[in-house]
Amino acid sequence: MTRTNGKVPGGPVLSVEDLAVAYKIRGGEIEAVQDVTFDIQRGEAHGIVGESGCGKSTVTWAILNFLGANGYVKRGGIKFLGQELVGRSGEELRRLRGDQIAMVYQDPMQALNPSMRLGDQMKEVLTVHRGLSDKEAEKRCISMLERVYMPDAANVMHRFPHQISGGQQQRVVIAMALLNNPALLIMDEPTTALDVTVEAAVLDLIAELRRDFDTGILFISHNLGVVARVCNKVGVMYAGEMVEVATTEDIYKNPQHPYTQGLIRCVPKLGSDKASSMLYPIRGRVPPPNNRPPGCVYGPRCDYFQDRCREERPELRKLPNGVEVRCHFAEKIDPSKWQPSEDILPPKVRQNGDKEEYIIEVKDLKKYYEVQGSSLKDVFGMSEPRYVKAVENATFNVPKGKTLGIVGESGCGKSTLIKTIIGLEDSTSGDAEFLGLDITGDLTTRTEQLIQELQMVFQNPDSTMNPSYTVGQQIGRPMLRFGTVPKGEVRNEVIKLLNLMRLGANYYDRLPRQLSGGEKQRVGIARALASRPDLVLCDEPVSALDVSVQAAVLNLLLEVQAEYGTTMIFIAHDLSVVRFFSDYVAVMYLGQIMEIGPADAIYALPYHPYTEALLSAVPIPDPSAKQKRIRLEGTVPSAISPPQGCRFNTRCPRRQLLPDGGKICETETPPWQEDERGHRIFCHIPRETLLTFEPVIQTKERAV
Amino acid sequence: MLVKDVMTRHPIMVPPEMSAAEAQHIMTENLVRHLPVVGDGKKLVGLVTNQCFAMKPDTMISLSVWEITRYLSNLKVQKIMLSVKEGKVYTINFGKTVEQAARIMTEHKIGCLPVVDDDGVVVGILSEIDLLRSLQEMLGLPTKGVRVTMRMPNKKGQFAALTGALAQNDLGVMGIGSFPTPRQPGYYDIVVKIPEVSIEQVRDILSQVPEQEIVDIHEE
Repeated sequence: MTRTNGKVPGGPVLSVEDLAVAYKIRGGEIEAVQDVTFDIQRGEAHGIVGESGCGKSTVTWAILNFLGANGYVKRGGIKFLGQELVGRSGEELRRLRGDQIAMVYQDPMQALNPSMRLGDQMKEVLTVHRGLSDKEAEKRCISMLERVYMPDAANVMHRFPHQISGGQQQRVVIAMALLNNPALLIMDEPTTALDVTVEAAVLDLIAELRRDFDTGILFISHNLGVVARVCNKVGVMYAGEMVEVATTEDIYKNPQHPYTQGLIRCVPKLGSDKASSMLYPIRGRVPPPNNRPPGCVYGPRCDYFQDRCREERPELRKLPNGVEVRCHFAEKIDPSKWQPSEDILPPKVRQNGDKEEYIIEVKDLKKYYEVQGSSLKDVFGMSEPRYVKAVENATFNVPKGKTLGIVGESGCGKSTLIKTIIGLEDSTSGDAEFLGLDITGDLTTRTEQLIQELQMVFQNPDSTMNPSYTVGQQIGRPMLRFGTVPKGEVRNEVIKLLNLMRLGANYYDRLPRQLSGGEKQRVGIARALASRPDLVLCDEPVSALDVSVQAAVLNLLLEVQAEYGTTMIFIAHDLSVVRFFSDYVAVMYLGQIMEIGPADAIYALPYHPYTEALLSAVPIPDPSAKQKRIRLEGTVPSAISPPQGCRFNTRCPRRQLLPDGGKICETETPPWQEDERGHRIFCHIPRETLLTFEPVIQTKERAV
Repeated sequence: MLVKDVMTRHPIMVPPEMSAAEAQHIMTENLVRHLPVVGDGKKLVGLVTNQCFAMKPDTMISLSVWEITRYLSNLKVQKIMLSVKEGKVYTINFGKTVEQAARIMTEHKIGCLPVVDDDGVVVGILSEIDLLRSLQEMLGLPTKGVRVTMRMPNKKGQFAALTGALAQNDLGVMGIGSFPTPRQPGYYDIVVKIPEVSIEQVRDILSQVPEQEIVDIHEE
């Protein structure tokens, strides 16, 4: 044992040493992972962060010998509980690992068998590995489900995976992983697909289980906030190498490697205001494994690049404070003196002091979907029609050139709301005026000019681009359709847009498959802007992107806004992104806007109880920040029969503040409480009481 | 303090089919002295200790180098281990108390106990080291403070008098232990660890307690 200090009994659970993983490809092989070294002790959570394509997942696959036919461990060793895993046959490995390593993947739906009842899937673990009887196994499974706080555990055993929510599915997967009391739990982005509130609950659960079961956890995530919440040690990976390994506090407070510093600078921070919280993307992108630069792999993107970095590959070395870093100049770099270079400087926040003119005014907008029942009465059309009340009485307006952010859990009606505005859905009732034109009617009745003024940027650029059209054709199409640009000048106009997107003219003839995720999203934005719209609706435009790319795309959108004065409605589930990006914010719950107002007002006292809960769930990339812990109980009620009175009353943690335990919340619709700045809260609790709450997040600098 | 709070979880375990040489290698490399041997589903079948490797020479036909090598290369863990079936392994359930575990270990003069659940599945291992660590924790070693030993007659109300004196002066207790005074029947010694206080203070307070005496006082 070279790395064990001898104090820990039995040595580390997992010890990876100088690991290199290579994939054989046509004409040679590429090393996806090089010289990765780390240890995980019992009861320790070790995080690995980095952009996509850095080799995080490859490391876990190597541990599980899951590399595929063409992948193999080229050098180094992986020791699990003191025994070497590399170079053993499949059967030996199965016996060695036995049931002592468990995995939790990003998408719980893919880990569960959709055609089997949850109980049967869970019991299998015990009946196969332990040889327990069916009855005994059932008992164990139920108690484990209760352990992960699954409501109504006995009943869940009889359901199919699609009958429970995403957060609950992930809990089932975690419960299944823990049934055999594994020594090592590998979690690959376990909360990325979940809502913030659910994510917070799952992360709490992981931290608690780690304590109780003394399980070593390898936690992979691209989200620095999540890692700060669960891990006590973090390794930062870049281009297949571990560039920094340190305790969580050190990584966030005192990052040594320029890449770690860069990553932390691209995360939007909740707590600072819009003008000061600039995001600085890291320029360039991760080099592909077959084309890594000589010397330091981070060199081409590094601000401190010197000749030595090109000539000599830095080794992972230990600094006096215990941090391991792969940089020649780690001691000499002072991140506080860092100045953003010209090309990544974010755009100036525009200041338009002129009078506010509303571009879109929405009043009492409703969108109901009729639900088809399955009873005999329904078939003959004799029963009362039932509706999913997707959007209820939405009222807001957006001034020209400003951004409205909409946040809320999934299923709260954010997307329906903007689909109704853009005309993908017609509205049930209410008014919506865009530049004085009514947009509530059917899409077919819209004039071409109106369609041109309203454009949309979608979440997933992959599925919204025609794979057989070149970038130039895709962006040029709206220009030709709407005739905004004469035919002969389309190409020049497209190239101008591409330049604005920082893509360059050589992208004109590329196909979507030749672009990275961030580039595709830029093309998506360029296409939305091609018809020079007045209002752009963005539906989670950055949630599928890496942090560094996300920062670049967000800055780009700000730049576009400054250049063209475009108004935007911006949907996101990430509250820190919305804070950074928006002038106004609306918080939605179950189809109802709960709080709306200027962004600063939403993130400061007074909060709506729901906003308060959302804010307390946001993972903060700062382990020293104090965050109030509010976890909502239960799940979002059905939108077919939303609760009477206030829709949030079934889960509201604050209704006890009202007389009679908040009886009024169940019977009466709350009033809108408005202040002079236009900040409106939809709650029975008086504003004065809401003001007495403690701030949710307290960082060293200031409270939110 | 129960066994499950003190034991080492997820011990290194080996299958019975593993070669003895490899098991020996694992033990030296990981600095462990005991290896639970488990079958399917982590069920305990045996235990390998250092003594298991001390083999009698008469188990071999001759002592030629070739014979020894052949013998060793064929030797499996199941052949050398202490077998559960033969009743040679003492185990303990994870819900038992630490003192019960210590008693089994002292009674049979053994260095470790595999910890099992109700189905005989190994959930941890409890060694002398774990017990010694728990002793330190019980007496509050990790935190700094004054460690005082009080001698008191085995009578009702004596312990209350001691804690009362501490409580009156707003003192807390980090660790506590008691044992019958050696060679003085009818008396008990109680060790108390008190943080954030000076020796003089403790001496002043505890010397006032009637019928009791301070046997020993230390700053640790």
